[in-house]
Amino acid sequence: MDTIRRRGDRACRLIGLVGIVVFLISAFTPLAYRLNQWMAEPARLAPSDAIVVLGGTISPSGLLSLESLRRTNRGIELYLRGLAPVLVLLGGSTGGGPTEAEVRAAQAKLHGIPADAILTDTHARTTREEAVRVKALLEPRRARTVLLVTNGGHLPRARPLFERAGFEVRSVPSDPPIEPDTPESRLAETRVLVKEMLGWLYYRIAGYI
Amino acid sequence: MEATFIAALAGLTSIGAYYVGARALGLSSAGLAAAVGTMLESIGVVLIFLAVNLMTSVLIVLAVRSSTGTFVSAYATDDVVWLGLSMIQGLAFQAWRKSAAEG
Repeated sequence: MDTIRRRGDRACRLIGLVGIVVFLISAFTPLAYRLNQWMAEPARLAPSDAIVVLGGTISPSGLLSLESLRRTNRGIELYLRGLAPVLVLLGGSTGGGPTEAEVRAAQAKLHGIPADAILTDTHARTTREEAVRVKALLEPRRARTVLLVTNGGHLPRARPLFERAGFEVRSVPSDPPIEPDTPESRLAETRVLVKEMLGWLYYRIAGYI
Repeated sequence: MEATFIAALAGLTSIGAYYVGARALGLSSAGLAAAVGTMLESIGVVLIFLAVNLMTSVLIVLAVRSSTGTFVSAYATDDVVWLGLSMIQGLAFQAWRKSAAEG
């Protein structure tokens, strides 16, 4: 019993040590930023049939998350640069509040994008569903090439899904080209990175990508 | 700059704590190594609870999705509160283990 307990103690110490080392590296070095840059694909800006802005999150009161805003702004910028005639905005609601796609569409209109150039979908709940629903949404327009806007860590999972749906995908990361320099922002970046890696792993195991 | 300030401040308060412990409270320096070991053990237990909590919540989300067809967002598992709850669970469990070992 004592041997088992001692082994358990040693294992816990090792896990604790690894945890502290990972925490310190994540908080005090730019490792997460470097990994994110390594994972992210470079922006491939070319005239396309549509711009697709993937959903982020929205609060029940209708406030877009920072990531959702970044993606929306990037999509609007691409449209205003004349890279595609259609802007597809995605995202449902949280707790019965306004939908993310509608809030984003309102922002796009404020930037002068005509309503008939905006398509929205509020029903897709996962990246996989987004690919399927965007395919159905763009089918009547015979869109083949899309500029896919999402954060860099999400692209390795999102791009193959849209390629499977039949699109030629041009990746456009929404991340700002600024290295986070505070421990809190570095930890937040590590969290997003870990989440995206796990999501990618799950999609691979499930055979979605 | 902020990171350097935080690291320097944490270093400073650690040195201060060592000084208080060694000089004012008369704690032995040799005991510090054992204390660090205990601290690592406790953090290890907290991390184990965190991993178990997160894995269990993901499995429950996937099970509910597949068995009932109801969509439950996996983002329910992505909440910083898990860290606090795991800390409470882990520290309580570690204290329990230690009291059993001593008793």
